[in-house]
Amino acid sequence: MGNLASVKKALNAISVDCIITDDPNEIRNSKVIVLPGVGSFKQGMKNLKKNGLDITLTDEVMNKKKPFLGICLGMQLIFSEGSEPEPCKGLGWIKGKVVKFKSNGMRIPHMGWNELIDVNESIFNSDCQGDYYFIHSYHAIPDDSLIISSKVNYTEKVVASVNQDNIFATQFHPEKSQKVGLALLKNYFAKFS
Amino acid sequence: MQSSLKLRIIPVLTFNGFALVKTKKFANPRMVGNPVQTARLYNSRGVDELVFLDIYASEQDRKINLKLVSDVIKECFMPVSIGGGIKSLEDINNLLKIGADKVVIKTMALKEPLLIKEAVSFFGSQCISIALDVMNIDGEYHINTGSHLEKSNLTDFIKSMEDCDVGEYLLCSTDDDGMMNGFNIDLINYVSDLTNKPIIAIGGAGNPDHFATLFESTNIEAAASSSIYHFTQYTPQDVKILLNKRGFNVRL
Repeated sequence: MGNLASVKKALNAISVDCIITDDPNEIRNSKVIVLPGVGSFKQGMKNLKKNGLDITLTDEVMNKKKPFLGICLGMQLIFSEGSEPEPCKGLGWIKGKVVKFKSNGMRIPHMGWNELIDVNESIFNSDCQGDYYFIHSYHAIPDDSLIISSKVNYTEKVVASVNQDNIFATQFHPEKSQKVGLALLKNYFAKFS
Repeated sequence: MQSSLKLRIIPVLTFNGFALVKTKKFANPRMVGNPVQTARLYNSRGVDELVFLDIYASEQDRKINLKLVSDVIKECFMPVSIGGGIKSLEDINNLLKIGADKVVIKTMALKEPLLIKEAVSFFGSQCISIALDVMNIDGEYHINTGSHLEKSNLTDFIKSMEDCDVGEYLLCSTDDDGMMNGFNIDLINYVSDLTNKPIIAIGGAGNPDHFATLFESTNIEAAASSSIYHFTQYTPQDVKILLNKRGFNVRL
């Protein structure tokens, strides 16, 4: 789980109080849960299970409907199934799977700034439309395409973000996407302050 | 096949343990400024990414200065790659913990390629970048290993890194470092044929036209430079404006 420090820095920059924690009580007492993460799907699940965090998180997000923001691997882990490096179960909050890019001669990982398309404008207002930073070799495919709130064009149109009830999750890194990224985070957290 | 990925135009900060320096052909370091102030400036200019390398850490057997690197990263709301003196998984973890998005490794990859494989499986390939500092010796490409290692064939080295499934290559032409006469197109195409991973070309940029030539003549999508931004009036934005005029997809 690598990008915790970057997410904290970004949230501090938009004056959102946050702590980095793996303590179930702190998580239960929070208003919003953010799950960042880089690394492999299997290792990520292993890390969550090691501390029983998978159970705490599922209870908070799925039963108590606490607002949840997943970023990059933190988005992928909430799907039913991953494939990195081999098939393995995810948290299963969103039905669907996470698969490796079919390269089609293009470079993998998908790395760099890319434009969001097919955006849900109620989530991405004009301040937060534009280029976001992506860095991933796997992408998510939800069973229900209606939860997709933005896509990105790389090898084909792939999912860039999803919204389902109290869950918002992005494949891109808002915390690394300068102005638009900070605007997106600001809009998101404005709902809870 | 489709993509709307933008070309990445990246400044490189090379550090000697005390100050930013700029070399020519990996020699004659010249002081060019303060790392934190420079990072702040690039962040305010909205550059696509930043690369920060302590270029003498491995050779001088030093650890990179985590406090200073942390101060550099704090200035940046764009992705940052950090390299220099990385010897272990713990070194990588320490850099990721303070917010590095990618680590750049050369010496450890040459000495212990197995550790790279371990790093990839633990941290994910997306954050493990390999520096390819290349020189041409009698018509063959070799890794510039510095003074204390045996020379290493470029093709063999890339093959061993492909086996590890690393995330990205920073490809630097030693012969063109600091010369500002344009990128080494032959070398870049040679490496591009060997891998399907992202490649950042480094070494040789002296004016915005050099970048246009690079992207016209190769299929790579990123370039990182130093001298042009230290020693000319051009900024990364000037480079992108020219590329945009020439029809390339950049983030303005």
